[in-house]
Amino acid sequence: MLQFILSGLAIGSVYGLIGMALAISFYVTRVINFAQGQIMMVAIMITATISSAGYSPWIAVILGLLSSCIVAVLSYVIAVKPILAFNRFSFGWLVSTLGFAVMLENAAAYLWGPTSRPFPAILNGYSIHIANAVLTGQQVLAIAVAIVFAAAFELVRKRTLYGKLGVAVATDPDMASAIGGNTTVVAIAAFAISGLFAGVAGILIGPSTFANPYLGSTYGISGFIAMMIGGGTEKPLSAMFGGLLLGVLANGANALIDSQASDWFPFLVLVIILIVTPRGLFSSGGFSFPRLMRRAR
Amino acid sequence: MTKSPFNRRLLTVVLLVVYVMATWLAANASLSIQSLVLVAGVFGILAISLDLVAGMLGLYSLGQGGFFGIGSYVTAIAVADLNVSPFLLLPVVIVVSGLCGVIIGAMSLRVSGLYFAITTFIFTLVLTVMATDMQITGGTQGLLGPAFPDFPTGLAWLGAPVAWCILLALLAAAALVWNIRRSPLYPVLLSIRDAEPFAEAAGVRTSAIKIGIFGLSAAMAGTAGWLFSFLGVVSPGQFDWSVSLNVLVMVLVGGINTTLGPLVGAAFVSMFPAVVDINPWLEEVLYGALSILAITVFPEGVVGLIRRQFGKTVQSPVISEDAGAVAPSAVPPTRATDMAGGDIAVECRGIEFSYAVGPKVLRDVNVVVRRGHIHGLIGPNGSGKSTLANVIAGRLRPVAGAIFVKGQQVNGVSPSGRARLGLRRTFQAAQLVRELTTSQNVSVGLYTKIPGIVRRAAIWPLLPSGQRDLGWMTTQAVAALQSVGATNWTERRIGDVPHGVEQLTQLASVCVAAPDIIILDEPATGLSSGEVDHLARILSQLKAQGVTMIIIEHQTRFLLPLCDRVTVLNAGEVVLTATADEVRAHPIVRQVYLGE
Repeated sequence: MLQFILSGLAIGSVYGLIGMALAISFYVTRVINFAQGQIMMVAIMITATISSAGYSPWIAVILGLLSSCIVAVLSYVIAVKPILAFNRFSFGWLVSTLGFAVMLENAAAYLWGPTSRPFPAILNGYSIHIANAVLTGQQVLAIAVAIVFAAAFELVRKRTLYGKLGVAVATDPDMASAIGGNTTVVAIAAFAISGLFAGVAGILIGPSTFANPYLGSTYGISGFIAMMIGGGTEKPLSAMFGGLLLGVLANGANALIDSQASDWFPFLVLVIILIVTPRGLFSSGGFSFPRLMRRAR
Repeated sequence: MTKSPFNRRLLTVVLLVVYVMATWLAANASLSIQSLVLVAGVFGILAISLDLVAGMLGLYSLGQGGFFGIGSYVTAIAVADLNVSPFLLLPVVIVVSGLCGVIIGAMSLRVSGLYFAITTFIFTLVLTVMATDMQITGGTQGLLGPAFPDFPTGLAWLGAPVAWCILLALLAAAALVWNIRRSPLYPVLLSIRDAEPFAEAAGVRTSAIKIGIFGLSAAMAGTAGWLFSFLGVVSPGQFDWSVSLNVLVMVLVGGINTTLGPLVGAAFVSMFPAVVDINPWLEEVLYGALSILAITVFPEGVVGLIRRQFGKTVQSPVISEDAGAVAPSAVPPTRATDMAGGDIAVECRGIEFSYAVGPKVLRDVNVVVRRGHIHGLIGPNGSGKSTLANVIAGRLRPVAGAIFVKGQQVNGVSPSGRARLGLRRTFQAAQLVRELTTSQNVSVGLYTKIPGIVRRAAIWPLLPSGQRDLGWMTTQAVAALQSVGATNWTERRIGDVPHGVEQLTQLASVCVAAPDIIILDEPATGLSSGEVDHLARILSQLKAQGVTMIIIEHQTRFLLPLCDRVTVLNAGEVVLTATADEVRAHPIVRQVYLGE
């Protein structure tokens, strides 16, 4: 029991980080970046390549995170900004962000080949006993990093001028630019942060999945479910709670139902949650997602 | 460049003959070419089904892959396990996938936009997972689809029967959407897409139409799945979320809301791997890059681009400076006066209204509007005038109190239901479809006057009654525009007309339906002084015909002379209801509103 809750929290914090990455870019631009999972994959591939070239894993990790930030900003510049410049409420971004994801995934498969490559173990070699449960050091690191990142993001969003400018741009970009906020800079910053979150998720999951160009869509969808369960479309932090819940539920389904249950159980949970509370479980505050969408239409 | 009907019919016949000959060629072509054409044809049907909801209703469904999968799996499973004829299955597939569409639509269409896209996306995800994990679907391996029955020996020269089936189905799907685009339902659908409050105020049951059209689109996607099952193996990878997105790529790249666009897009996307013969990964990279490029550089798609380059140049109309001074040349249609409710047209009893947060917007508002009166509603900004209009028209539900229209309690009646009772309204900020002409917008107002617009839309141009009704609607719409003084603007798109003409178009779309009661929310805003005088004349004429009007207006110089009764609102409360003279003389009104 404790074992699957704890390891569920560990994988859940990875889902949560990807969910937050999706939510942060959505928050500012009202665009779901379908390439988010592939951006995570880029961080994993770069880290694996650099460390297998003989450099220190920590240098590799830093460069990997940097690469995912850059790719995320590229996704904004190439696939999002031109669409929003044309019409803020059109759905062209569905196509362009998917196109970006297809490009990333296949370029990676072309460059590195479709097979898995080794990834630095980081803390995967250590194990920690908590009561009767055993966690690897990497799993503990995942939970710790997720908490730190989620808390730091929330602090920045609520307590700094940049964070408040982000809120302003999210609510009404025209108004925000009228009072002197540079919406493009805010959006680029948000995409860079989302790339950082996705990259961190990749570094945390890499030692157990190894480096494979096709990791992106699986984890991208898990992150999407995390965001929708939690209600991250209103508040990015909710995506983290959604991710943790998703991780525990999926692990629990594997342990208690059967070993394939984690394939479909999250979807069942998602459908039930969306029917019961379309705004997600952990969303709160003055405005609801459906109402927001109606306004955005 | 007007084509005579005869030329147009000849062109249609020639195109049909060419299409049938092309089908014959495809049916007799080599297997590789045939499979290429047939897969493109199936995706063409899918793309058309998406264009129907995305282009005309603005509902970006990511569930087309799911309905597609339902069609294929139902066919493959039923043929393999029950050994029934595939042709008997077609109606089953249509009903099953259509019903799934209706259910999903009903669940998610209360809200539109992104939420709808996400719900349908999740639907596709769930179906893919089910297809992968269940026994009956054959897991990731999938199922072998049924073989298509052969032609009888005498018809063997026709070639592969499956080719005929798919390409004729494609023709039928294209014709269906083409017909809808030429029916009076088309402006109604666009008004639901762009200006839902306007459509509701015209008496359109918007939710029911959205759900119905989405069900039709799902049934088309299911049919595409039925056809696809004849082309080989049916496996989960062919229906996952990336298929739904690829269909969207087809529609957007080809040109959304055009007849040919989805077909061009489907041909491009499904033939791309065969035409570009390079490393498969590089080919996918190129595909991604091209779709980004297409959507960012040509957001209207290939067909939209061609249309812009070679399309008809819009003739600039003769803009007369004194458009407002044109005498009304046609009288709005004569009305059969409905005397239900006796002397009282609209009555509000003890209306209270407040939003989720904030103070009460309306407090114990009692207003009686007598039949045939022009009833003014004045008050400072924020006094609750528009809120009261929305409560009467049904867009807002009062917290307490009752509303009676022609003696009937209408608290539970939707805005479109109240419109069908003969209560029409205009909006403070004009709600119109920018890409349609003024007369097309006005014809939306006639929606309730022609029975069976929705039922007949799919075959509209083929029906003699369809041509007749369309002609009648156009005449009525033009006459209504003339009567409000917008004669010179009847063929101009709303996006190209000045604000005053938008206001007149709104008024025409209301008058054309010959309603008993009209609510006008600031009709004189944005009109020149000449146009305001003209508006006053039109309103007097309407009054002479016995129409009851509730008018919200700040220009008291225009409004008060027209009114039989005036209600003054301040901070959500009725200050007084009296004749215009009494209102002018009232000390509180002079203080709070007229500013003396």
